[in-house]
Amino acid sequence: MPMNVPFSAARIRDEFPVFRHHPDLIYLDNAATTQKPLAVLDAERRFYETANANIHRAAHRLGSAATDAFEGARTRIAAHLNAAHPDEVLFTRGTTEAINLAAHSWGRAHLRPGDVILLSTLEHHANIVPWQLVAQATGAIVKPIPLDADGTIDQRAFLSLLTPAIRLVGLTQCSNATGVLPPLAPMIAAAKAVGALVMIDGAQGIAHGGVDLQALGADFYAFSGHKLYGPTGVGVLWARRELLAKMPPWQAGGEMIDRVSFDGTTFAEPPFRFEAGTPPIAQAVGLAAAMDWLAGHDRDTLLRHELALRERFEAGLVQLDCIRVLSASAPRGPITALAFDGLHPYDVAQFLDGYGVAVRVGQHCAGPLHQALGLNGSLRASFAAYNTEADVDATLAALATTLEQLA
Amino acid sequence: MSSYPPPFDHPFGTRIDRDALAQRLEAAAGWEAKNRLLVQLARELPPLPDALRTDEHRVAGCESTAWLVIGRQEGRLLAAADSDSRIVKGLLALLLTAYHGHTPAELAGFDFEAWLVSLGLQRFLTTSRGNGLRAMSRMIREAIAEFSH
Ligand SMILES: Cc1ncc(COP(=O)(O)O)c(C=O)c1O
Repeated sequence: MPMNVPFSAARIRDEFPVFRHHPDLIYLDNAATTQKPLAVLDAERRFYETANANIHRAAHRLGSAATDAFEGARTRIAAHLNAAHPDEVLFTRGTTEAINLAAHSWGRAHLRPGDVILLSTLEHHANIVPWQLVAQATGAIVKPIPLDADGTIDQRAFLSLLTPAIRLVGLTQCSNATGVLPPLAPMIAAAKAVGALVMIDGAQGIAHGGVDLQALGADFYAFSGHKLYGPTGVGVLWARRELLAKMPPWQAGGEMIDRVSFDGTTFAEPPFRFEAGTPPIAQAVGLAAAMDWLAGHDRDTLLRHELALRERFEAGLVQLDCIRVLSASAPRGPITALAFDGLHPYDVAQFLDGYGVAVRVGQHCAGPLHQALGLNGSLRASFAAYNTEADVDATLAALATTLEQLA
Repeated sequence: MSSYPPPFDHPFGTRIDRDALAQRLEAAAGWEAKNRLLVQLARELPPLPDALRTDEHRVAGCESTAWLVIGRQEGRLLAAADSDSRIVKGLLALLLTAYHGHTPAELAGFDFEAWLVSLGLQRFLTTSRGNGLRAMSRMIREAIAEFSH
């Protein structure tokens, strides 16, 4: 959209067909998955209608069209991420598979007994459990980086944990549960100074402001299409070519081999070495369309809008009793996590659902974070570009009614 | 009727039967009214004593925690339950109403999940990974199967 057209969340909302089917829906579960704009739905459909074939091997024109669409998507995604080369973009099923790929391929090849993997206590289980499995298999040790009282990463503890035994540091760009934004730049620099690699879980961060991979300075970056206005079933693992070259295959099958014989098989170069079997072709095309769609807007304006909604929401909460915003004064993305005195978040969410407000409750796959905060669970409202001030005001009204009903 | 020892001395399944609850649920039109009724039922179900809120009796959904205690007396299944969520506790009151104080013969052919659907509460079954409801009805059915052997 040209910059001289003023921003309008209502106009963005019109680009999302789901709201034509659910006109009254107030969708604040965006951190779980976002809705999809017409541009993404059209791109996937157009691919199936005009270029559908299997890729890379077909000796026919439709196969070339499909390969061009898929590799074109890789190139555009690499450009949106400011990756140095398209071959650094590996297609996966999502963040979870991306982190598993890094853990199992790099981890099993390079970790030795006694090596340490440092993970922040903010992490989603997807950036914890794969490392635990690899640690079990290799004799490496997983250590948590503790939190401060306000639910941010304890920087002093982090620095004191950094030793040459640390081989990898895993950090989220934005906590999916509380929205907390760790100070990535100094943390990555400190980790690199002891020779550790850094895995950034970008599942949430990429949707709010995006990422510049060459500026970030991390070694691995993982994200999912479906949290970024794109399709389910596709995500990305990014790593530099030098690092990928030193990584063995993880999954095996077609597409990833150079030559197969029963005497021995040689593997293709990255990225194909890591993309066994038929990849999510139409979904990759849809993901590229989602990133193109986002790039058509001013990302800073979108982020400012989302943060303004979060602030409007939290300002309105002050009128209501017995609600606490988690990590309230920490730097956060457009996510509000709430705890209630004497009320169960599940009950609040059930009433909100009755009023057409979709939120999420539970531990949001962040068990260690909730344990550190001393909570069984929380209620999360997460904002996206198509949410409006009217959504926020209606949610506040629904919350006030809910508290009366549960009083 | 409800001459059972604690924690089984609650009204659900004895003084309050399935028909009575079905009537109250049918009168509650719409989601909000149904939610309110579940909260009201939770109030009518006395809490389990802390001594029984143990891991042994715990049934965890991923969004809430519930405790289910099963016993038997003179061929009847006894059940008591509690939850940290009031809506889940209200759903447990429905579960107790269906099973508590009944004999396996009385329960033959009864389908709890179909009953919930007929009461317009299927959304709690589809989200039962969150509230643990299916897991609890399965535990009760297993207990019944065991003691009819
Ligand atoms: C921070 C974070 N990491 C990882 C994941 C896992 O993403 P996916 O389920 O798309 O693999 C999520 C989404 O739930 C997330 O929010």
